[in-house]
Amino acid sequence: MKIKITISLLLIVLMASAFIPHQPPHKLTYLKLVIPKGWPQPPTNIFATNPLTEEGFQLGRKLFYDARLSRDSNFSCAGCHQQFAAFATYDHDFSHGFNNSFTTRNAPGLFNIAWQKELHWDGGVNHIEVQPLSPFTAANEMATTLPEILKKLKADTAYARLFKNAFADGMINSQHMLKALAQFTGSIQSYNSKYDKVKRGEDSFTVSEALGYKTFMASCNSCHREPLFTDNSFRNNGLPLNKKWMDKGRMTITGNLADSLKFKVPSLRNISLTFPYMHDGRVVSLGKVIDHYRNSIDTAQPTLDMLLKKRIAISDQEKVDLISFLLTLKDDVLTHDPRFKQPN
Amino acid sequence: MMKPALCLLIFFCVIFLLPPATVNAQQQPNIKISFINYAGNQPLVPDSLYANCWKENYSVSRLKYYISNIALQTSNQKWNAEQNSYHLVDESDSLSKNFSFYLPSGNYTTLSFLIGVDSLKNVSGAQTGALDPLNSMFWTWNSGYIMFKMEGTSPQSAAVNNKIEYHIGGFSGVDNAVKKIRLQLAGIPVAINNKSITEIIIRANIDKLWNAATVLKITETPVCTIPGPLAGRIAANYTTMFDVLKIVQR
Ligand code: HEC
Ligand code: HEC
Repeated sequence: MKIKITISLLLIVLMASAFIPHQPPHKLTYLKLVIPKGWPQPPTNIFATNPLTEEGFQLGRKLFYDARLSRDSNFSCAGCHQQFAAFATYDHDFSHGFNNSFTTRNAPGLFNIAWQKELHWDGGVNHIEVQPLSPFTAANEMATTLPEILKKLKADTAYARLFKNAFADGMINSQHMLKALAQFTGSIQSYNSKYDKVKRGEDSFTVSEALGYKTFMASCNSCHREPLFTDNSFRNNGLPLNKKWMDKGRMTITGNLADSLKFKVPSLRNISLTFPYMHDGRVVSLGKVIDHYRNSIDTAQPTLDMLLKKRIAISDQEKVDLISFLLTLKDDVLTHDPRFKQPN
Repeated sequence: MMKPALCLLIFFCVIFLLPPATVNAQQQPNIKISFINYAGNQPLVPDSLYANCWKENYSVSRLKYYISNIALQTSNQKWNAEQNSYHLVDESDSLSKNFSFYLPSGNYTTLSFLIGVDSLKNVSGAQTGALDPLNSMFWTWNSGYIMFKMEGTSPQSAAVNNKIEYHIGGFSGVDNAVKKIRLQLAGIPVAINNKSITEIIIRANIDKLWNAATVLKITETPVCTIPGPLAGRIAANYTTMFDVLKIVQR
């Protein structure tokens, strides 16, 4: 009898020990991207091979704000992508980069990237994870190299801890760094503007905003399609070629003449924060943007979008109302969200 | 009454204490694929001067290319592929020029691989190992791998510092630089088994770049660093660059 009990006990201990892994399990807090009501599903799941976790997000957040990643420790991602400006560069046509240089395009706001298929004005970047390679290595941005960055990260014990938290093997390598950055930038979402609240029945438009919304739906929505305020296509909206940069937009990537002067239709969310406008920041105000669509579209361009061949007729009153509406796309929740602030 | 309990105990001991490593033990590599870069009739010596068929002189300071998706076909027409098959052959790194893996025993007749990286990996975000962007084989302005990179100089080059620079990439459309190579194994079939290592030595002859499917002259195009028609033509040439030099079994 005694032996039987001993054996049973032994058995129980053994079985229990089988459930205690030899290494403590790697604890991760999984997060989910919000898909607001009425929104389409993202075209692809950008987190399919990069599970979104609190730990990965926090590592990405530190990297995003860390100027030491640049060659001279002056330029962080956040230097050009400022939260109070919906992660665009506030009030700059071009952003400042290494050694008194400028970018050659206007820094767009960063939000709802999970709904984009291609990044950058010309769509040259095909995945959010590889996007940082571009600012890292561009001589007029952070002007550094991956080995340089990894050397700095490996010398920093705070990063050793964060990489260990975020990834099972804790390795500090380019893949983990890029995936963590993607978790941060891919999590930035904008869906709490006044417009969104009106749609959810939590607020209502003023008379002018409501009239502007009507004009918007009639004249702008075919390209700047709600609720994302972009249809993610590449189009020519009739701006003359920038002679300094000779930037042909989408054609740079596809090599196709039919893509000359086409640029990604930008989202108009947070548009009052991301001036100046267009891929090269040449248009200074929303009033001037509307004037462009009314009066100055270059109709001689062969690749000009079909919808703009006759320009867009907008009266002065409609212009005022349209601007009121566009201002309702500002999302104060995003610009004040403590999760996206510089970490301590 | 005690006996079954004891048996059970032993049973559980065996189950729980077996190290997991023995369950998914790796098969021993039995095949080795080696690349030797050639310039014409001799193995390439970096920075030494060669002449191409157009009587243009050139030297090569850097030569790197991707070899991926290696598979071998048996005489029963069955393809067996290397798992996670991505390799960056770098002339300056002798370890990068051969790789070993396991193949099921059999008689093999054909070797196939891609020069370049399949399109899927070009659009799937940050990779590691041979595909790590750290290897300077990834374009940042137009996402995608540089499949083949050759740099050097030529007195005939009109580019700055007499450079020649061929960064060949692009993974879709008519100018796709990813090319499938199929090589018959000489003296076929080659018996691959678990007792010996079979080494297939492949010659990669850069002399073919200048004149194969199309003409490439340094005087006309010393530089190609974007995907497109020129890259597509150069890729068509490098498709002819490989042959089996010899097969060794030990
Ligand atoms: C020197 C200023 C500068 C720095 C530093 C910078 N960016 Fe940017 N960013 C830009 C500009 C300009 C663009 C537009 C580039 C283009 O379209 O060619 C851009 C585009 C982007 C985009 C694409 C947005 C879209 O809608 O297409 C993302 C994502 C992004 N940046 C993230 C980052 C991250 C992450 C970092 C840090 C690793 C970073 N940026 C550092 C200026 C900068
Ligand atoms: C045919 C498609 C199309 C239509 C219709 C259209 N746009 Fe645009 N819009 C674009 C494209 C493409 C760009 C980017 C052009 C560039 O940067 O070169 C753009 C840029 C903008 C910008 C600058 C955004 C930024 O972040 O810099 C604003 C603002 C804008 N449009 C507002 C409007 C308004 C208001 C209307 C309706 C009156 C409208 N658009 C109609 C295609 C369109």
